[in-house]
This record gives sequence, structure tokens and C-alpha cells, in this order.
Amino acid sequence: MASVPGNRFKQDERRRNADHVSFLKHRRYRWLWIAVLLCLATGLGYALIDQEPRPNGGSWYGYTLGTIGLGLIVWLSLLGIRKRKITAGNWSLKAWTSAHVYLGLALIVVGTLHTGFQIGWNVHTLAYFLMLLVIISGIYGVIVYATLPTTLSNNRNEMTRGEMLEALTAIDRQLESAAQPLGRQQSDLVIRALEQDVFYGGAWGRLTGTYPGCATNRALGGFPEVAGGVDGASERVRSLLVKRAEQLAQIRRQLRIRALLEIWLFIHIPATIALLAALFAHVVSVFYYW
Amino acid sequence: MAFLIRTIDVTASGREIVRDRTVDKGELSIGRASDNDIHLTDLAVEQHHISMKDAGGGMLSVESVGGLGFGLDGRTVTSGSIDPNVGGEVSVGTARLAISREGDGPVQIVIKQVEKDEGAGDVLQNFALASALPSKRTMAWIFAGAILLLLLSVPIVTHLIRSPVENDPDNLQQGQVVLDDAWSTGELSLKHHELEDNCEACHQTPFVSVQDETCLSCHEEIEDHADMPRQALGMPPMSTGDSLQWSIGETLGKEGPLGCVSCHTEHEGQVRQAAAKEAFCSDCHNELDTRLTDVDFGNASDFGEKHPQFRPAIYTAQFADKPVRVSLDDKPVEQSGLKFTHDEHMDPQGGVARMAISLTKYGAPLECSDCHSEWSDEGLIVQVSENGGKPSDYGDFAPVVMEDACESCHSLVFDRAGPQFRNLRHGDVDDLMADLATMDRGPRQPVVSGRGRPGQFARGGTYYSNFGRPMSAYIAVNRALERTGVCGECHIPTTTNGRRDLTPVNLPNRFLWQGHFSHAAHGDDVAECTDCHNAEESSEATDLLIPNLESCRDCHLGETAVKTEEITPSGCAMCHAYHTPTAPWKPEDHPEPGRNGGNDSVAALLGGLRR
Repeated sequence: MASVPGNRFKQDERRRNADHVSFLKHRRYRWLWIAVLLCLATGLGYALIDQEPRPNGGSWYGYTLGTIGLGLIVWLSLLGIRKRKITAGNWSLKAWTSAHVYLGLALIVVGTLHTGFQIGWNVHTLAYFLMLLVIISGIYGVIVYATLPTTLSNNRNEMTRGEMLEALTAIDRQLESAAQPLGRQQSDLVIRALEQDVFYGGAWGRLTGTYPGCATNRALGGFPEVAGGVDGASERVRSLLVKRAEQLAQIRRQLRIRALLEIWLFIHIPATIALLAALFAHVVSVFYYW
Repeated sequence: MAFLIRTIDVTASGREIVRDRTVDKGELSIGRASDNDIHLTDLAVEQHHISMKDAGGGMLSVESVGGLGFGLDGRTVTSGSIDPNVGGEVSVGTARLAISREGDGPVQIVIKQVEKDEGAGDVLQNFALASALPSKRTMAWIFAGAILLLLLSVPIVTHLIRSPVENDPDNLQQGQVVLDDAWSTGELSLKHHELEDNCEACHQTPFVSVQDETCLSCHEEIEDHADMPRQALGMPPMSTGDSLQWSIGETLGKEGPLGCVSCHTEHEGQVRQAAAKEAFCSDCHNELDTRLTDVDFGNASDFGEKHPQFRPAIYTAQFADKPVRVSLDDKPVEQSGLKFTHDEHMDPQGGVARMAISLTKYGAPLECSDCHSEWSDEGLIVQVSENGGKPSDYGDFAPVVMEDACESCHSLVFDRAGPQFRNLRHGDVDDLMADLATMDRGPRQPVVSGRGRPGQFARGGTYYSNFGRPMSAYIAVNRALERTGVCGECHIPTTTNGRRDLTPVNLPNRFLWQGHFSHAAHGDDVAECTDCHNAEESSEATDLLIPNLESCRDCHLGETAVKTEEITPSGCAMCHAYHTPTAPWKPEDHPEPGRNGGNDSVAALLGGLRR
């Protein structure tokens, strides 16, 4: 029975690998090597095959590269369908994602060689730059997926999103009652702070973390810090506003990290669909005006 | 420590019932059991859930009794502390306990019931960036739709509904197809640049390649390289890859490797058509005789290694009607009808040189350019005759004109009338006879011999009269046309219909007809005339002074030769053109095209240096 633990270890290791190895390292970078080989082969072909009068997407080698590129783009965009059907095995979603990333990177080489370095204001170059936009946003996505979740987790400080909002609501309820003795002007400041949507600021505010119209900060300006706390109510409201601002800051950091984590998909996906359309227009127009 | 506990309940009708009571204890218990100080009737609350006590320094400490957590300012904790002066909120079940203190007063606890978390899940959605941006799907549809509409549908529809017009280079019908310039893969060549906005002029039928017929609708003057069926016969068999490519191409309307567009690719930027590579010619011409057995020219693949000897067109017999092509290897003898000795005329020590030195027109021994002149300083082959340049059926040099080149020594003066000299007209024997017949003041026999008339009556005087017989004029005619006569100095006498005559002069305007040669490109800084034309040693007019293939190879080798100071790699296109072998094709009324900078050919470069 001495062999059993060994077998068991191997089995477990295989399972651990399947479960926990990053899609980037999948099968010892298998798809990275395949992508590098593809780049080398197409680059070598470009350098060695003499196209008259100059390298061009319309030469036979250009059409070959174009066909490879088109196939890759269509296959890469199918990840959106594939990821909704989770299976295991050789063509597991992880393998598919690994191939998606590395073959997507190889597409930079294949696509660029297909252009023959001829760039202009036309549908062909539009397709090329949409492709680059998709790839670059994808690279960004891989990088932020690798780095930002830790930051996101640290910022949560063991609070759930619901708790963050609940905390703000709790502060708001206290503010409401604490502000009862205040005069009109200061009451208005508190009302505005309470009325403002937690998620105010739009996409730009989220991405940059700048909220110039933040009513809580503005209200704080209306409650000067007085040494010794002359006016009890005013002092309490001020303390609560500071707490509110801190809680808002945590929520907004959360929003910012989430936004930085998610923004690439808002470029990657629409640009992919636009790329498929531009690619279709590119192929049809080339043969329409052959 | 005193606690002011205020319970706010809401009746079914929405009215608030506020109950205040004061508890003066150091520790306050909160739970579902009725013995708690604060009794909450909520099943989610433990019997004894929380204990709240004075922690000193005005602070309250809040602890979970049973280990189950509670909410403190929104966070779920099991213990915590509250500064009542700042305020805090404890939540347990549906109850919210707001804790505060006014100055030094009692700690006030306000208890309210809240509705439990309605719509909290929806609120959490707001943390996603999607809540602040238009949806990915919407953006995707908008972008894709705009591209498919503007960059695909609009050009296709406007192309299909246009009314096709016949191409007219002088009156281009532009802009019938909308937005198709977004389809252009690059700028058109220099000569087609004005068609930039007129894609449909060439791209007439959808999914069909540009047709030869369309090219020829403007380029009607262009000539085929050879008869089309013969060209097809002359082509070597295609490789598998090529035939595969062409079979695909032909299904999309390409007209095969002999179609215009197989060589004249477009949309490569504002450039001129590049000269064809050597392989373009040698593919067929390397072993052409194996496929076209009846051609009368040799195979060629590389100027340095495989190229037939030059065959200039010359008159090989006196009185011949037209020149014939003779290989320079066959030691051709040119029968031009003239007598001339290049060596005598060019000898710097000889009598001709002495005479030239004595004449103000020359003042030095003769040089080639004293007799031979280029058509124009430009010397470029593309000049056409109407503009004062070189006629297309001539070589670089204008014909030698006797009156300019020869007559200053070989005088045709036959008489003197007052201060003027009278010249025999050159070029026509009839003119010559007429001129000589008028020579009534020619040297006649004096009526008397031994004595001259005196004064004004003497020879040369005002009243001089020649009463002798005019016979000498006719004798002069006869003598002029003899071998030793004035005409016989250069011409070969003959007899036509029993009358004395001269052999017609048969000099070709151009020697090499199947290629073009630029003397300008071989100017003074490259070579002297005599480096190529062996005139200094030619003692007979029958010598043909056209340099042969081997002498060109001193400097010109094939395209793949290594360029050195002496060797110029030379592809076929340096001398030969495809459509018109003698010169690059250009219709007569075509404007001069722009050039690709100044270095598009060796000829232009050297020409520029010379100028």
C-alpha cells in the first residue's frame, strides 16, 4: 500500500493544478509557446518571401496572414460564448482562456504583418486599430486582474458592500437627529449632504476618484472646527460629517478599484463587436472592389 | 449612569407613539427576554443579546452576550465602543438604537423599528461600473451598426444604383459612389492620382477584378508586348502555387498573368510604376526558343551572362530600299553611299586638323561634336518631336547635315558675284546641274591669248566681257560628278538612265530599334565618344562604329551583379520597355508626369549632374 499515498499525491496535484494554476501558466505556458512559434513563423515568412512590388495585404502571403488573422479574431471573440459553457478537460475554459490571451497577443504580429505596414484613413486601417484597441484593452485587463483584487480586498477592511452602505445609512440617521438644533443655513448643508446619491459622480468620477461636487465635503466646510466645542450640536454634526466623509471615501475607493478593474471590458467587448463589423466590411470591400 | 430610553413606534395609521423612560444603571441589557432593560420583540434577537456599560471617560462599551454579532455603525461586530457625544448606532434585528448625549445630560437611546433591507441587492449593483456607463451591448450595437452602415452599405448601395458612364480622362464623372474612398487601400500612382475620387472608373463590376478593357478605354494607344496567343505560348509552365493562385484569382474575374493588373498594381502610394525586375523578363525569355521556335531573336536572361549580340539595322548594299538587321558578330559592312574616313578627320596631327585650326569656326583639330550633335541638351528619350525634341524614330543624335558639318572645308563655292560667293546647291543632282549651267562667268577660253584688255575692260573690271564659248560649264558638270570631281570627294558616282548621277546616301536614322540607349546617361564624365565608338582607327566609310555587346559589358552586367565604381548592375528595363521596345510608352498628348524625387533612374541622375 506504499504506492497509494504517492498516487494519491499525484492525483491531488493534478487536480490542484487544474484548479489553482493561473490560466497564464496553464500547462507550462503551452499557449505562450504556440503563440511565440506563430509569431516567429509568420515573421520569418514575411522577411524571406519577396512580394512584388512591395509587401501588401493583397499578395498571396498577405491573404494567408489575413486568413490566419481573421480565423484568430473570430475564434478569440467566441470566448464570449464559450465562457458561458463551463466544462473540464483538454478544452477546459482555462485552456481556452490561456489560448485566448496568448493567441490574442500573437495577433498583434500577424495583423501588423498583414497590413504590410501600409496605414491610411480607410476601413482596413480602422479594423487594424480596432484590433489593437481590443488587444491593448485585453492586456490591461490581464494586468489589473492580476494586481487590483488584492487592493480591492484590502480596501474592504472586512466589510461587505452592504455593510458599507449600511454604515453610511446609520451615520445618516444619526446626522438627521443630531442636526435638529441647527439653524437654517447649516441644516441646508446637512440636507444636501444626505440627499446626495452615494454613487454620484459618474464613470469619470469613479475612474479618477475626483468628486468636485461632493456635498458632504461642502457641508464640512460650513462647520468650522472650533477648539473646545463651543456649540455642542454643531460639533456633533461636524464629527458625524467627518465620519460620513470617511465612510464615503471607503465606498469611493471601492468604486474606483472596481471601475479600474471593469473599464477594460467596456472597451474590449464593444470594440470586439465593432472589430467584427469592420472586419466584415474590410473583407467584403476588398473583394467588392477587387 | 443614567440612560434616557426613547421608544418610537409607528401605528398602522402611521402615527408615531413616543415613550420615554429613564434607567439609572451602570449596565444596560438588550434582548428578547422581558427581563432586559431594553426589551425587543423580534425573533432575530437573542434572549440576552447585548450588554452596554459605562467604559469610563464618557465612553460606552457594547458587548455581545451570547456571541452573536450585532450592527455597530453598519458593521457587524461582537464588541465595540461608542462615544455618545459623537453618536453611534447599534442595530439588532429590525431595531435601530441611536445613542447620543447632549452636553452633560444622560445618554439618550432612541429605538426605532426599520423595514428590513428592502432593495438592498439592487443598491449593491451600483458598485459595478456598469451602473455608470452605457451597456456594453448597446455600445457594441451602435459601433458595429455605424460601421456596417457607413463603411459597407452606403458604398455598396450607391455603387449598385449608379448609372455607369464611359470613361473619359478629360471629363471624369466623380463622386457617384459615396464613401467608397474609405475602401481605398492606399493612394493611387502619380499618373492615376486624379482618379482618387473615382473608384468606380476602374472598379466597375462588384467582385470582379479590374478588367483590361477598362484600362484600354483610356490607354487605347498602348501596344501589346506581342500577340496575345503567342505571349501565352511563350510563358513557361506555372508552378503549382502560381496556378492555384491564378485559378482562385480567375474565379474572381482576374484576367490571368497577362492581364494589365498583374503587373500594374495600384494603391501603393503616389509613385511611378517601378521598372520590372530582370526575372519578369527572363521568366519567358530565358528559354523562349523552346516554346516559340520561330522567333528570330536569341534567348536572354541576364545582360552580363545571357544576351544576344546587338543587331543594328543598317543598309548592307548600295541602293538598298531599307535597312536590315545584322549581328555585330557577322562583321557587318555598311554601304551608306558615302566615302568618309573617320581616322583622317580625327587625326590631331593630320592635314584635316591643320585646316580646321586655320578656320575660325573650329580653331582646333576636329572633335566628334563638330559634326555630330544631339537633338537637344536634354537628350532624354521621352522628348517628342513636336516639342522640338527628338523624333521617336531617331537615335539620340540628329543626322549630320552636310552644310553645317562638311562644307566649311569641302566648299561648294563655284562662282563669285561681286562681294558674294555662289554655292552649289547640295542634295539634288538636278539642282547641281542647274547651278553649274548658270556659271556663265566661269573660266572660259579668252578670245585672244597673250594679251589682256586694259583698265575697266580688264578681267574683273566694270566693262569686262567674256566673249568665249560657254562650254566649260558643261564640262564642269561632268567633272563634278566624276570620282575626282567636287561631288566625288564624298559621294560615289553612278549612272542613272545613261546620265551621270550619285549613289543615294543611305544612313539609318537609328541603329538599335529594340532597346533604348541614352547618350546623355553616358556623358563626358562617364565616357568619351571614342571609348565606345572606334572612330579614330576607322579608315573606311563601310566600317560600322556601333559598339558591341562585349564592350557594354565592361560596365554593365546583369541585375544581380555587385555594384562597384566600374560595374553598374543593369536589369532589362534599363534598355528595354515592355509595351514599346524602343522607348517607354507614352501617348503623344500626355502631360509630363511628376517624378519620384530625382533618383528614379541612373539616366536621370547622370543627366542631372551634367546639367
